[in-house]
Amino acid sequence: MSPSKTVAPGRLLAQVAGERQTGALVVRGHPGGAVYVLEGRVIYAESPAAPGVGELLTASGRLAGRTWQNALDRGTATARVGRMLVEHGHLTQGELELCVLGATYDAAYFALAPQDAPADFLGGATHWLGPVVHIDPAAVTREVRRRAKMLDDIFPDPRVDTEVVTPITRPPRERITLTAPQWELLVHADGQRTPADLAFLLGKAGFATIQELRRLAAAGLLDLPGVRDKAPEFVRLPRSRGTAVDANRPQLRPDNSPTVPVVSGVRPAAPDPPAPTALTEETSANGTVYRPPRLARRKPGAKLPKELAGDAPPHTGTDEVLLKRIRTALRALR
Amino acid sequence: MTPTHSGCDWCPYGRQRMAHGDGHAVEVNPALRSDVPGVDHCLQEAMAIPGAVGASIVDYTTGFPVATTGAAPNDDHEAAAAGTADVVQAANSRSLFVSAIPHDLLEDLIITTAGGYHLLRPVQTDFDSRLVLYVWLDRVLGNLAVARHRMQKLADDLVAT
Repeated sequence: MSPSKTVAPGRLLAQVAGERQTGALVVRGHPGGAVYVLEGRVIYAESPAAPGVGELLTASGRLAGRTWQNALDRGTATARVGRMLVEHGHLTQGELELCVLGATYDAAYFALAPQDAPADFLGGATHWLGPVVHIDPAAVTREVRRRAKMLDDIFPDPRVDTEVVTPITRPPRERITLTAPQWELLVHADGQRTPADLAFLLGKAGFATIQELRRLAAAGLLDLPGVRDKAPEFVRLPRSRGTAVDANRPQLRPDNSPTVPVVSGVRPAAPDPPAPTALTEETSANGTVYRPPRLARRKPGAKLPKELAGDAPPHTGTDEVLLKRIRTALRALR
Repeated sequence: MTPTHSGCDWCPYGRQRMAHGDGHAVEVNPALRSDVPGVDHCLQEAMAIPGAVGASIVDYTTGFPVATTGAAPNDDHEAAAAGTADVVQAANSRSLFVSAIPHDLLEDLIITTAGGYHLLRPVQTDFDSRLVLYVWLDRVLGNLAVARHRMQKLADDLVAT
């Protein structure tokens, strides 16, 4: 066993394959993994981010957990677990091969994708599953590179692959389209599960899982920690009231008549509203103090200017109009 | 030929799992193991279909040829697999074609060209996988009906117990 050194795991695999060695290429780091080589050919790979053959077969219900455990108990020592399952009729040879091929390429992606990681080659190590398939190591590394590029073409942010999956609470568009695997992921993403957790829970390939997650991220349906801060503010918060007033506004003195919009006519300190006849002169009467935001709003009980109003109804009391407006407003609120 | 897998003393399904619905039993004699259709056997059988030029099993989520044999369009099995994946994804993701009846599933896809037929048939496994069997047929030598029938049997035998 050579000491652990930081290398490109793919290059180390090519080296041991060229020497037709047998053993396990163990890649540390996150997520890491191991690639098992028999006489220079890849026979299996495993990674904490990729469900293995056992997880795939039991999570889908293809094998009862007990069946799998029994096969492990009896076949591990002789590295014949895969063959035993077929010989006893629990799986067809085709199923076993397809499952092992899928799991191997899946785990190999996680083990070999890092450009440099601490990696060891444990010569002579074998896997308890036994040799079921024999894959050309060059095909494996080529496929790993292709998969890495495929992910970056979808959404070039590798944090999606490892961070806890948090779906956004409100979709960014009126209409979104999900595939069945995406739906399954979103339903099971509880804000605590990582992509690897979801892959194991659902019995899906780890790569297929992060592929769908990158698509979801590209569609803006995932909440990414770093991206969250940069995202535009969609919800406008109400402004705090204290800062809304113009700091340069003149001081209001008690003897001043109310500045423009008088909503309530019963302010005790305020003087009587000017007489209806003086309304056209209102500007000069009380606009001396505070000009800029003058709104053309009538005072309660005020009449229209003579040139606009015809025969005005008789004055019915200051508060009646106000009360009606409040009533209308309250009704609208209900 | 023993009708049950007597060698298995630990499987929880007992013996009836080996019997098919119609009562006939599956052979489990290890001497006949070569008849068990593994992936390579399946592709050999696919090449035995009249007119077959090439065959592969493709993972259509990644567009990767899990196993290949014979020729491929432009001599590039990997490019053919990527194209295969696009076609299957398109047919699957646009539910128009597969939603006419509840639980209607894609059965096969046939692409015809002037020189050949390209047949794609999903392989339904119980565990999670997204695989299609792809067979390229010569247009003159191939027979579409025969090829579809044979491919159905191959895809079923690959995973059937």
